[in-house]
This record gives sequence, structure tokens and C-alpha cells, in this order.
Amino acid sequence: MTLFRTLERRIAVVFVGLLVFVMLLMLLIVARSGEAIIMAESQRQLAAGARNFGKLVDRDQRQLELAASVLAGDFGFREAIATQDRATVHSVLRNHGYRIGARVMMVLSLNGEVIADTQRPDQAPRPFPFGELLQAAQQAGRSGGVALMADGLLYQIVIVPILAPVRVAWVVMGFPVEDAWAAEFARVSGLDVSVVATGESIHASSLLPELRGALEKTPWTMLDEQPRPLTLDDRNYHAVALPFGPQARVLLLHSLEPSEAVFRELERILEIIAASGIALFVVGSFGLARRIAGPVNTLAKAAQRIEAGDYSHAVAVTAPDEIGQLAASFESMRTGIAARELKIIRLAYEDTLTGLPNRTRLAEHLAGLDPTATAMVAVLDLDRFAPINDALGHPVGDRLLQQVGERLASLLPPQGMLARLWGDEFAFVVAGAADESARDFAARLLAALREPIEVDGQKLDVSGSLGIAFRPADGRDMDTLLQRAELAMYAAKRRQCGYALAEDIGAGPPPEQLSMIGEMREALERREFVLYYQPKLALASNRVVGAEALLRWQHPQRGLVPPGRFIPFAEQTGFIREITPWLLGEVAAQAAAWRERGIWVVVSANLSARDLLNPDLVGLMRDLLDVHQLPPSALCLEITESALMEDPTLALAHLAELAALGLKLSIDDYGAGQASLSYLKSLPVHELKIDQSFIGSLATSPKDAAIVRSTIALGHALGLTVVAEGIEGEADLDWLAAAGCDIGQGYFISRPMAAPAFADWILAQAVTCND
Amino acid sequence: MTVKTPAGAPVKDAAVVLEPTSGTAPPARQRAAIEQRGREFIPHLTIVQKGTAIDFPNHDPFKHHVYSFSPAKVFEIKLYAGKPANPVIFDKTGAVALGCNIHDWMEAHVLVVDTPWFAKTGANGVARIERVPAGAYRLRLWHPRQKAPAADSSVDLGGAMRKLDLTLDVTPRVIVPRPPVDAGGY
Repeated sequence: MTLFRTLERRIAVVFVGLLVFVMLLMLLIVARSGEAIIMAESQRQLAAGARNFGKLVDRDQRQLELAASVLAGDFGFREAIATQDRATVHSVLRNHGYRIGARVMMVLSLNGEVIADTQRPDQAPRPFPFGELLQAAQQAGRSGGVALMADGLLYQIVIVPILAPVRVAWVVMGFPVEDAWAAEFARVSGLDVSVVATGESIHASSLLPELRGALEKTPWTMLDEQPRPLTLDDRNYHAVALPFGPQARVLLLHSLEPSEAVFRELERILEIIAASGIALFVVGSFGLARRIAGPVNTLAKAAQRIEAGDYSHAVAVTAPDEIGQLAASFESMRTGIAARELKIIRLAYEDTLTGLPNRTRLAEHLAGLDPTATAMVAVLDLDRFAPINDALGHPVGDRLLQQVGERLASLLPPQGMLARLWGDEFAFVVAGAADESARDFAARLLAALREPIEVDGQKLDVSGSLGIAFRPADGRDMDTLLQRAELAMYAAKRRQCGYALAEDIGAGPPPEQLSMIGEMREALERREFVLYYQPKLALASNRVVGAEALLRWQHPQRGLVPPGRFIPFAEQTGFIREITPWLLGEVAAQAAAWRERGIWVVVSANLSARDLLNPDLVGLMRDLLDVHQLPPSALCLEITESALMEDPTLALAHLAELAALGLKLSIDDYGAGQASLSYLKSLPVHELKIDQSFIGSLATSPKDAAIVRSTIALGHALGLTVVAEGIEGEADLDWLAAAGCDIGQGYFISRPMAAPAFADWILAQAVTCND
Repeated sequence: MTVKTPAGAPVKDAAVVLEPTSGTAPPARQRAAIEQRGREFIPHLTIVQKGTAIDFPNHDPFKHHVYSFSPAKVFEIKLYAGKPANPVIFDKTGAVALGCNIHDWMEAHVLVVDTPWFAKTGANGVARIERVPAGAYRLRLWHPRQKAPAADSSVDLGGAMRKLDLTLDVTPRVIVPRPPVDAGGY
């Protein structure tokens, strides 16, 4: 309901609603009570009126009788009547009737004949039409009553004797029941009086003419001595009907109008009070509600601002009440949230070491630039940072990175941004930079880096390699551009030429690489990855003592994907971390399966730098040995020399744990990296695999042969098994065997094979050996 | 003669009249009087022979106004004190009701008959007519408040005393209220 949507309205509506309810209830009660009071009052009035009416009629009758008696006792009247002279009798009847206001005067003989009648002077004697009245008079000496006479009028009639001194005749006097009569009764009783003859119209009434007309049309015949409601001309009455002589009835009407008017006036006053009260309440409760809801609304608006991320406005509610307290809490919440958000933003967008923006911030910055304008993304990687870090320690390395950051920041063009990506890698985004300006920028940057940097009093020579990519030529999104720039940077580092443009180092990764991660994930689920095993042959005994597991991708469309096409990418993107656990599990299972069949070979698996630095690796290996009931010496982990050098300290620590587990460890591609002999000496490894680049040219390059021969000697001197891989000819094999190399591996011995083929092959070999 | 109601109560002031069926009665040579005393006519009933003069002596210390509207004798003696100079001669037979115009309750009756032989009953209902010559008579019975006229009857009288029992139904006398005597010296 919209009526209750706001607190303000709800308060006002509830308050006003309650008041309206109470007022209505009060008005209803007053109206009800009024009706009841009017009803009771009316009934009381009518009951009293009905009682009084009888008394009044009796009294009236007695007075008329008395008056008639006095008249009948007048000597002249009696004398005139006694004369029996018609003319005289009529005259005296008229005269004396006029004296007391009788309209009708009659003389009756003692036996009840009308002998004189003022209304019909010429008529012959006839019987008196109201025998009952006469009988009553004969018994009581006089009588009175109401009768409808021949003229159609209603009369109050009294019959009194003419005494001379004995009764000689009766005189009948008739007093018309007229409006004046009714008015007199109305005055005395306070009721409206109407006299109606049965079935006839109204004879007398104290009612106003229009009401009399209304009464004539009203079915009053149903009235009796019980008060009943009656409506005349829209006015309310209560009425009773009382018998009035044998042929007439008297209607007593009590008008409700005066009482109703009093109550109407009362109700009107109450309505005015109620209306003003409600009006005051509406104003008052809206005022109150506003005082309550206003600060609440202010708080709500403040909350909305905070929700929208605007923490700059202080909450301006200073009420001394609970809302004020709420506002104060709100205010401290606002400042707290603002401070925390600032901190979060800093953590999210800032590199804590150098205070520079981080990769995320840089990506947002690039996304915020005009997408149609050109932009430059440059990646700078310090050369030889790792040795400095190793030699002088992390704190020095960190301070060096901070100094480098400051120096790079000082060279930043006004519309550019500098970020530290990770380690010793920094990146720039410069809007609007084109080929020429980028080259200038790169030259200035590299020149600036050549100035020695002083850290803790030591002057350090640093240099960097820079890779530059352009939007939109090399890509549109941050990941692509950074990747292209990094590739260029690696190229520059390899060529030691300072900087390289992405466009100069050829096409980017083949298009299939862009969707490679998704495909690799699907491949893992669909078990498209398979392991091939290449035998490791002990040259002295000519026995297969091991097998190196090699990852292959049997792609449903592209066929067998060469390892070089996806493994570096998996390592770069970190997807290798999802593949390695699967691979290690497969290798362990395969080793266990072969052992079941009596094939006792040490199965090797390759680990990338990321795998080696993964803290979960040791636990995983322990679990695998456990699950497959393998002796640790049944498995060998091969780590390239370059992988070791990414984080030599952590690598050493993990290798120590793996060695402690009893696993065999092997250094792969030895000779291609920068491992120092002192570092090599400290490694807990069992095997050294000479990089195959040396083996392939044994026959043609005396220098390589010398390196191999001395490496074999070195390995043996350190107590290591020396492995030569990439043996492609019998001459090389023989040379190596002669040189004392322990184990050989290569196409000449066998290509990598699927596990069943390997098993078949090794069993066949065994038969051959036995020969 | 004893007059009783049908219920057997003696009737006071009943007139018993003997009219000779043949010949004429001797003319009246009498005078009668109806006194006004103590605001009453005394006696209540007077029977006279036709032609009798009746005096209306007033013994009260205030005036009376005697009247009659009866057809047998209409007369009026306006406010007088003491004995009026002239008596009223009742020269027609019939019943005459007398009233006083000043005192409504005062009532007297005069029965004018054409015979000298009449009597009225006392409180015991007994009336006695003496010295009636023997012969045939018509016996009439009358009372001022008789309910119905009694039928005449015939009686033959010899020299001996006759005793007759008669019956007449009368209404009780209407007591007209009157002010007390000592009230203001009326």
C-alpha cells in the first residue's frame, strides 16, 4: 500500500485513523443515545399525555355540565321553556346557548323526544338520536359525551334536566369539537391533538394546515394506545390513538423535532469538535511524523550515498534523541567504512612494496581509456635481479625495487600510468603513444636505468629489458597486450638488445592458443591427455631401469598435439597445476600396475617450476605412495635447472622434503640454465640429465663432447647418476657408454610409447637380454 | 287505607282521593296554607278541593319566590316576606309542582281534586278519609314521584268503615344539595 510506504505517513495514518475511529464511535454513541433518549422522552410524554387527556376531557365535561346546569336553572330560561311556546322556546334556546357558547341547543321531553332544536326549528318532534346519553342522564341526573351530529360535525354534548322544581324536560347542549378545542388541549398537554371520526376525516386538530393534510394521507388507523412512530411531511412523531366517544378517536402526536433539534445541534457541535480535532491531529501527527521521519529520511539518504560509494558527506542529524544516537553511530560507521574502503582500494589497486598501482589498477586504467585511440603497453623486467636478491638478501632486493619504481615513475609521461606487475616486472600504459615516441621513451627509460642505484650505501648496477605492444595493432585487451609485450620483453632479453616491439618479433601466439585453456580443461575432463613412456636404459648392463612419462594430447580434431605447443602455455597460464596432480596420479598407478606384472622400472615424471613451488606437492606425493603401496624409490621426479632457479630457496626446501620422503630426484636439461655448481652441490638429488642439445652434436662438436665428458665426471664426483637423453644414433650410444654415462634415453633406444606398448616392448627386451 | 310499595314499604305522602261516580261534590269552602319554614315548604303535599285558596305564609327571616309552571296553576309570588296579601286560588284540577326560585331544593306539590273526600298517607303509609257518604266512588291514588299513574278503582261505600290496602311504586326523593343554614344567614 502506498499509504503506508513511508514511516511519516504510517505514523500519521495510524494516529489520525485512531482518532477518527474514536470520534466516529463517540458520534455513533451520541446518535444512538440521542435516539434512545428521544424515544424514551417521547414515550413518557405520550403516556403522560394520554393520562392527562382523559382527565382533561372529564374536567371539560364537568365544566360544561356545570355551565349547562347553571343555565338550565335560570328562572327566565325555565319560565320560557315552561311556556311551551315554540317561537319563544327557540328564541330562548338560541339566546342562552349563545351565552355559554353552545352551538347546538335542544329540549327533550321527559320521554326523550326532541321538542325543540336550534338547528332544525321547524321539525316535528322526533326521538333523540343519542339514546345512550339520555339513558345515562335519566340514571345520573345528567350526562355528557361526544357525538357525531347530523350536520357531520363532532360535538361534545351535555344533557341536563330542567327542574321546576321537578324535572320537566331535558336540555341538550352541544359544543363543537373544533380546532380551538384541539389547540387548547395541545396547549395544556404539550402534545399535538387531532380528533378523527372513525373512517372519517379530521374534525379538529392543533396541527398546522400542511401537517393536517399529511395526516389525512397517513394510515393512522393502525395507531392504538401504544406509542408508535409516525412521519408527517418528513417530520417525526410518536403517536397514540385514544377512544373519544363511540365514533371518534383522538390522536396525540408528540413531535420529536425539538428533541431531535437539540441532538442535531449537539451532534453538529461534536462534529465540529471532531473535525477540528482531526484537522489538528492531521497537522500535529504529520508534524510529529516529520520530526521522526525527517531525520530517518536523512539517514536513509546518507545510507544511499554510502551505498553508492560516496563517503564524503557527514551525516547531519543532531537530534538529542534515539535517532540522534543512531545518526551518531551512522556517522562513525560512515567514517569507518570510508577508511576501510580506502584501505581495501589501496590493497586492491596498489602494490604494497612500491606504492605503485598494481596490475588490476593498470588494467582498469587501460579499460578507461578511449578504446578507439591508440595506446602503448610496455613491460620492463630487470636483468639479473634474482642473483642480486640471492646475494644481498630480500630486504635489499625490495629496496632496490622501490628505488627502481621511483626512478621509473619520474620518467612517466603525464598521460601514462606505471604499475608493478610482480617480482621485478613493471609495466607502463601510455595513451596516444605511437611507434616513434615509444622508441624514444624506451631509450630514455633504459638510459635512466643505467645510472647505478644506491641501496644501503652500495651502488648497484641494474639494467632492464623492455617489451612494447600497441593497441589496437597488437591486441585490444590488457591480457593480450601484456602477453605480447612480455613476449617482446623476453625476446629483447634473449637478444640483449634493450627493448623490442611486439610487432618486430613476429606474430603472436597462434590463434589456437587463445582458446587453449578452455580446450585443455575440456581435454582433462574428456581424458584426452595421455602419457607416453620412454625407456631409460642402463648403458653398462643394457637393461631398462626406468621410464620417463611424457604428456601427450590426443586432440579429437587436431590429432596428436605436440608437447611444445601446449605445455609451455600450460606452465605460463598456471594450468599445469591442474594437470600435474592428474599426471602424478597416473604415473603412480602405472608404476604400481607394472610392478604387479613384474616390470621393475623407476617411473619419472616432469615437474614445472610452479609444481615445484606448490606447497601441496609433498603431501600429494606422500598420499600417492600410500594409496598405491609404492616404495618411494619407484618414482622419480625430474626438475629442469631453470625451474629450480625461479625461487632457488623455496625449491631447495621442497626438494629436501621430497628427498626425505625417499623419492628419487633428477635435474633435467642440465647445462642449459644458470645453476651454479655451489647450488648444485647443495641439492639433495640423485640424478643429472645432460641437456640433449649437447648430446645431439657429440659426433660433430669436440667442445660439446668435452662438456659431456666433464659433466659425467662432475656428476660422478658428486655421487649422482648421469643420464644422457636425445640419443639418436648407435655411435652416440657407444660413445656415451664408453664415457661412463650411466643411463641413456632417446629415439635410438626407443620412442615414447603408450603404456601397453611399453610393457610389451620391455618384456620383449627382457627376452632378448636373456638370450 | 294503607299504601305500600310493591316491595311492601309504606309510602308517605301518597294522595288517596274518592270521587263520587254520580252527582257532584259539594263546593269547597276551605282555605289552606303552605308555609315556608326553614327553607322548606311545609307540608310537602297538599290536597285541596278545586277552588280552594292557599296562603303561602313565609316564616323565614328572608324572602322566598314561589312559582309554579304546572298547567293546572301557573303562578308566581315574587320575592316576599311574611304572608302575601292574597292567597292563590287553585281553580283547576290537576297536579301542581311548586318551587322556590331562590332555593332550588324547595319543592312542594298541590293536588287539586274535584271532591272533598281525600287524604294523604303518613310516614306509616296509612291515610284515613272520614265522613264519606255511602255510595259509589272512584278511588284515585297519586304520588308526586309515582313511577306510573295508578289505575282508578271503584269502591262502594256503606256506613261501615272500610279498610283498603293499596300498592304504588314511587321513586325515592332526589335530595337536592343545599348550603348549610348558618352559612351567611340564608
